[in-house]
Amino acid sequence: MTGPAAELLPATRNALSLLLLAMADDEFVIGFSDSEWTGIAPMLEEDVAMSSIAQDELGHAQALYRLLAEVADDGRDADAIAYDRPPEGYYHARLLDHPRGDWATTIARRYLYDTADGIRLDALVDSSFAPLRELVAKIRREERYHLMHVSAWLERLASAGGGPRERLLDALERLAPDAATVLSPLPNDLSLVMAGIIDSSFDELDARWRAEVGRVFERLRLAMVLPVADPLTARTIHSDAFRWLHGEFTAVRREQPGATW
Amino acid sequence: VSDRHSKEPHLEEWEVFRQEKEGDAMKHGGSVMAPDAELAVHYARELYGRRQESIRLWVVRRADIHDLSDPDLLQPPLDRSFKKPGGYVMRDKLAAAREQSGASKPKGNAG
Repeated sequence: MTGPAAELLPATRNALSLLLLAMADDEFVIGFSDSEWTGIAPMLEEDVAMSSIAQDELGHAQALYRLLAEVADDGRDADAIAYDRPPEGYYHARLLDHPRGDWATTIARRYLYDTADGIRLDALVDSSFAPLRELVAKIRREERYHLMHVSAWLERLASAGGGPRERLLDALERLAPDAATVLSPLPNDLSLVMAGIIDSSFDELDARWRAEVGRVFERLRLAMVLPVADPLTARTIHSDAFRWLHGEFTAVRREQPGATW
Repeated sequence: VSDRHSKEPHLEEWEVFRQEKEGDAMKHGGSVMAPDAELAVHYARELYGRRQESIRLWVVRRADIHDLSDPDLLQPPLDRSFKKPGGYVMRDKLAAAREQSGASKPKGNAG
């Protein structure tokens, strides 16, 4: 191995690999899941917007898988990591195991995810691992818009009253038990803090996320309990909805081994 | 007030103007449908700016545009050729005036 990853201690490199895998799988799964709205979003303009956001996420996943392939250096390229694992081998947060559901569910899921992802990206802005720092700088510029877009929708559904608000409340209630899984501590995350790869522990990031989301929920009168996630199962036990999605996004790869994106 | 939320969402037309590079004039790009200005700007960005083809967008509510397309005002039926400079032959008069004053023909594309 050459490059910046070669200089890391093996334990730190393993922890970094898991961080990259978690981030890449999160972006990949929500990107693929939200792309299901293409053609059926509530209105044409929103169809274009949501499809484009979903594509952005797949682009972020691709870049993160490529970086992971370099860091892990186990002979797999980005495509092999993205497509050649069984469903149980994916490492995305359980929040994203929930199906896209109706529009309110998609907005609720995306809001809970984008806020947590934003906190995670903020914590990597000054990362000592230069390839990640440089990639995060680019990803953040796109995520800024994603958060503006989903916040606009959250506000509208929450203040619409009647059916839309009820649907949003219902969605948040279903998602709440898994909302904190995105920032649940990763194994050995303290080695990443000590190496300066991330600026704080995941416990600290979780606290920042709760403060941010709490302020918005209070303003929109969305009283929500967001239980602490169990780190052992936050990214390892997946749902039938995800197994179905996995069957969809691996279909071409299985039919056409070696197909590239 | 009470039943507005049970109705279909109210969508309006918004006109999008775009600037390709600094110094260019804003040009009409097209339109989007949106319920309010904030989402109209999001959708304008998706449709007219996500491929780095614009450096600035202006989004204007269609209803705020004052339209003038009355042919009586814009395309009057009587001959107006006397209002256009094309009816005058200036070249010979200019040449004579220059000769008289001793000035040479200016460089460039004047005239």
